[in-house]
Amino acid sequence: MDSLSSLADGFGVALTPENLLWALVGVFLGTLVGVLPGIGPALTVALLLPVTYSLEPIQAFIMFAGIYYGGMYGGSTTSILLNTPGESASIITALEGNRMARRGRGAAALATAAIGSFVAGTIATIGLTFLAPVMADFALNFGPAEYLALIILAFTAITALLGSSLVRGLVSLFFGLALGLIGIDALTGQPRFAFGNQHLLNGVDVVTIAVGLFAVGETLWVASRMRHEKADIEPIKGSLWMTKDDWRRSWKPWLRGTAIGFPIGTLPAGGAEIPTFLSYSLEKKLTKHPEEFGKGAIEGVAGPEAANNASAAGVLVPLLTLGLPTSATAAIILAAFQRYDLQPGPQLFDRNPDLVWGLIASLYIGNLMLLVLNLPLVGLWVRLLSIPRPLLYGGILVFAGLGTWAQSQSITGLVVLYVIGIVGYLMRRFDIPVGPAVVGAILGPEAETHFRRAMQISQGDATVFLTRPLSATILAIAVILFLGPRLWRLARRRRASSVGVAD
Amino acid sequence: MTGERSESDDQPNVDTQAPSAPTGFARYAETLVAVGVEAMGIVILLETRDIRVPRAFSSVGPRVVPYIIGWGLVIIGAWYAIDVVRGRPAAPSADSEDADPTLPADWAVLGGLALALAVYAVLMEPAGFVLASALLFTMATFAMGSRLIVRDAGIGLAVSVITFLVFSEWLGIRLPPGLLEPVFG
Repeated sequence: MDSLSSLADGFGVALTPENLLWALVGVFLGTLVGVLPGIGPALTVALLLPVTYSLEPIQAFIMFAGIYYGGMYGGSTTSILLNTPGESASIITALEGNRMARRGRGAAALATAAIGSFVAGTIATIGLTFLAPVMADFALNFGPAEYLALIILAFTAITALLGSSLVRGLVSLFFGLALGLIGIDALTGQPRFAFGNQHLLNGVDVVTIAVGLFAVGETLWVASRMRHEKADIEPIKGSLWMTKDDWRRSWKPWLRGTAIGFPIGTLPAGGAEIPTFLSYSLEKKLTKHPEEFGKGAIEGVAGPEAANNASAAGVLVPLLTLGLPTSATAAIILAAFQRYDLQPGPQLFDRNPDLVWGLIASLYIGNLMLLVLNLPLVGLWVRLLSIPRPLLYGGILVFAGLGTWAQSQSITGLVVLYVIGIVGYLMRRFDIPVGPAVVGAILGPEAETHFRRAMQISQGDATVFLTRPLSATILAIAVILFLGPRLWRLARRRRASSVGVAD
Repeated sequence: MTGERSESDDQPNVDTQAPSAPTGFARYAETLVAVGVEAMGIVILLETRDIRVPRAFSSVGPRVVPYIIGWGLVIIGAWYAIDVVRGRPAAPSADSEDADPTLPADWAVLGGLALALAVYAVLMEPAGFVLASALLFTMATFAMGSRLIVRDAGIGLAVSVITFLVFSEWLGIRLPPGLLEPVFG
């Protein structure tokens, strides 16, 4: 009940004509940039952040909600028509959706992705509406020790669960943590690792890190190995409306995808990759048309797209209630909050209810706008896919520089951007994941502050993290998350080799 | 591991060349990345000694966490190097249609882009956002193989002017006007 009246207040904020306009601009820009090949949701949000710099916080976050959902939506369009996932959560969409497009079913794939995103986004936003206040209340009990434990859990999840190689995930995480050290120490005011440069005293901005890794690094990577034959853009064939059969085969995957995506997204160890893969394998098991999987099965687009969008809403639960980003995109949104001196967490719900609930209400509105906007405008989005690649990546470099300059107003900022871009190129070259670096850079300083505060409170007793039941539990989960899969694999290998000996 | 490999055995050896046949240079280069991680850790450990610890500060000071991260980088760098040398080199994933990971790096393109970005950073203040951005765009598209220089320069200039006006005039974000100050001032 409390949630509903807060949400009504939120709609009161979001439904003014001016704020509706900002939501529309956000949704439009988010889709526009998100559709561009090679630009995933994280980079979409990072590149568009400067547009919000001069707005009031409430307007900025209303627009941000639109950019976030629009970027997600744009990414799936690109995946279906061009087979360019842009981020790992869209791999599945690219897999089945692009096959559908190749078989002349592109319109149905786009429609089931759009409607599924709307259904999943709406249900998941309802989930967010009711879960967030409960979580925020619960989080009021958290002290510095618990926050540190949560951050360690998030670090463990993002490095140990994703990616092919643990050591490469750790390289990425610690690179981010090291960048996070630069600047003035929050507790003592001492400069650290500024190397005498006054611009570095402010620290390295997380948006600069994300833009450097995703935009500059990706551009260098693509440019160094550019394909000169033209990529195949699948023309949209067929009616934009799904057939009765498409509906029948889509609605259950939408709901199942939502049911998988939202809960996993809300976990401090969330992210969107795992739910999309889970949804895909579930649909593959349940389908009556197993022969179509891998060749363009509509269930294989409907389920994972719903899971992807539901987890995007789920990720906002730990972000808003705990200040804990679990994806690169969420890390950039957290950076946007910090620009306005707002710290997401339980207090945010008390101190800035207009802002939080206006943002949540805008998610509903943006979702609806996307549905109305995107199916009719799909012809426009498709045309963006055929931009000649030199122009596209040249433009990305210009906007990367613009965003960094708007933030830092200094050549130092650009130099930092380019150095990080070169690192991004190497990470791409050697298959080192980028997400852990972005999350590490923003959560590293938070982790340090919580660690030192907890130690101050306990008067230097380091066992405090294990004697407080809640923090001990969270740390235990992190250990299980880290060791569990490894022990399981080891046991399986043992069994396999002992069977081999018996033979 | 063995189970997965035997499953893919029925496929012809199409994809074996990308992940499992790194050239000597690629492995050498990745070892250098591990050395870079190591060096970063060492620099952090050395620099941490120069961080001043206020005397009145009793609890965990500003040096502790840098030491943890520095040692972390040193250990992970060594682990990474061992991982590479023992034969688990990375294969870049092919998740972009625009790039072909099996191609060797085109250093001429990378050099051209580096020059374009350097010129941009140097010219930003004196020449201004519009001219620097238009030049970056033209140089970058040329480096990436576009030969329609006049068209590209025109697009670059148009994009830069529009962006400048939107950000500077409408959104109120300061961008250097540079040489075009009389026009936009």
